[in-house]
Amino acid sequence: MKPENPFVAVLSLVVGLLFLSPVLYSIWMSFQTADDFYAGRVTFTLDNYQRAIGQFHFARYLINSVIVSGLVTVLGITVATLAAFAFARFSFRGGDLMFGATVATLMIPSHISLIPNYLTLAKAGLLDSYAGLVLPAISNGFAAFFLRQYMRGIPKALDEAAYMDGATHLQVLWRIIVPLSRPAISSMALYIFIGEWNNYIWPLVAVGKQDLYTLQIGLARLYRINPGEGLVDWPLVMAASTITILPVLLGFFLVERHLVRGITMGAVK
Amino acid sequence: MLRKLTPYLFVAPLMIFIAVFTYIPILTSLNLSVRQWNFLTPDMPFVGLRNYEELLASAEFWNSLRVTVVFAVLSVPLRLGAALLIASRLLRETVSSRLLRGAFFLPSVTSIVSIAVVFSWVFATDYGMVNWILHLVGLGRPQWLQDPYLALWVLIVVNTWRQLGYDIVIYIAGLQAIPQELYDAAAVDGGKRFDVFRRVTIPLVMPTTYFLLVISVIEAFQVFTIVNVMTKGGPAGATDMLVNLLYEIGFGLFDIGRGSALAVILFVLLVGLALLKSRIIGSKVHYEA
Repeated sequence: MKPENPFVAVLSLVVGLLFLSPVLYSIWMSFQTADDFYAGRVTFTLDNYQRAIGQFHFARYLINSVIVSGLVTVLGITVATLAAFAFARFSFRGGDLMFGATVATLMIPSHISLIPNYLTLAKAGLLDSYAGLVLPAISNGFAAFFLRQYMRGIPKALDEAAYMDGATHLQVLWRIIVPLSRPAISSMALYIFIGEWNNYIWPLVAVGKQDLYTLQIGLARLYRINPGEGLVDWPLVMAASTITILPVLLGFFLVERHLVRGITMGAVK
Repeated sequence: MLRKLTPYLFVAPLMIFIAVFTYIPILTSLNLSVRQWNFLTPDMPFVGLRNYEELLASAEFWNSLRVTVVFAVLSVPLRLGAALLIASRLLRETVSSRLLRGAFFLPSVTSIVSIAVVFSWVFATDYGMVNWILHLVGLGRPQWLQDPYLALWVLIVVNTWRQLGYDIVIYIAGLQAIPQELYDAAAVDGGKRFDVFRRVTIPLVMPTTYFLLVISVIEAFQVFTIVNVMTKGGPAGATDMLVNLLYEIGFGLFDIGRGSALAVILFVLLVGLALLKSRIIGSKVHYEA
């Protein structure tokens, strides 16, 4: 990296902090009591978090979000990896058509399936269940496409050597392709997890029972309890909001470069 | 025999999920859009194109289409212009440019509901951040989210704030693909910085701009969460964008036929835009010597 002009460095820091100031201030606010916030006094309390987690069930919503996003990620990556392996390594009748159908899902806006998927899951008796939240989110055309492109870059000689030694297809996939695709798989896992964590419209229509709310639904409802101006308990709402963004925020600092690389590879190429 | 089946077994799970939750729903929507149904009645009579006619004759539909188009027309140039300017300042691999890229990118992985809630406070009439600053400098206290003219602008600002980092990342990738020699040549010719930006950077980054333009128009037509959380489409329909109208008709009024007709119309619009995008990317300009 090149040496820095200290003036530019300080200016950059200020610009970055200003840009993020609404979120930074909301986190700060979540540690104030409502009275102190409205009076403009500076204090420190964990009371908002205690109320959000206890009285307003955010512990439950957090668990639901972890379960739903975790399941969608594991199942989605598994399904995408299996298909990507077939698309990358086999030529079979209908293969191109199926790959085309997979890529074409990227153009299909999700709202078109909103009402039909609601009906499908209602018929299966799966509304208001984890299965109802997870099932429609499992297929991910982008992940399948992305992994297939990546796997095509792995030399075929490696597979062939393994097949000579008597390995099965699954063994080749598991022992050779998956380990060598790890950067692509982890980028996609992250991408799926974040997408599902932040998913709003589907849990909004698929879930009515409060026990199954994800953080997004819980937060929107908590904010809407008191929609009137001046009546909102902002510090409480901001504590709930901080709980909602924190897991992704922490993950972001660990893997930002992975994410940015994944997005650039996907969009520009 | 078994060997031939192998690839099908590997693609089967993905194909089943795509069929059940993506492709069959398109057909289901088409079918429901020519029927009258409210989730409850046992049968759903065929009504021909009546749902489409009613929709196209309703003031709500045209209002939503207008609001959505206005949103796109105002927000897309704002996004792309700001992103290109910022990206062109963040090309160098220094610590501070890395940090700033991170700061700009952070919102695009953050929960939209959280962002909507935080900005509801930022633009709250009382105790909100913006009005607090306006108050400090002695200006008034606009009711941002209760004013039909201002509310849409608030949504545009919030959406731009969230998406900007994505646009910047894509622009940086596009800008880094421009060969340095072209800048050097322009500098040798004595071009001023702004001239170089206008005559070299903007034309050469055009393929990226087209890509982002179509992506962000498509995205604008699908905005829902910030509307649902911040305004519910109000005041007086001023922010009632198309997907919000779809949600209200389908899950508020339970008018499945009319909701499906709207879904089909929006689908045709968006797939048309997406096809336009793949044509643009297919004809991507190359500038290698």
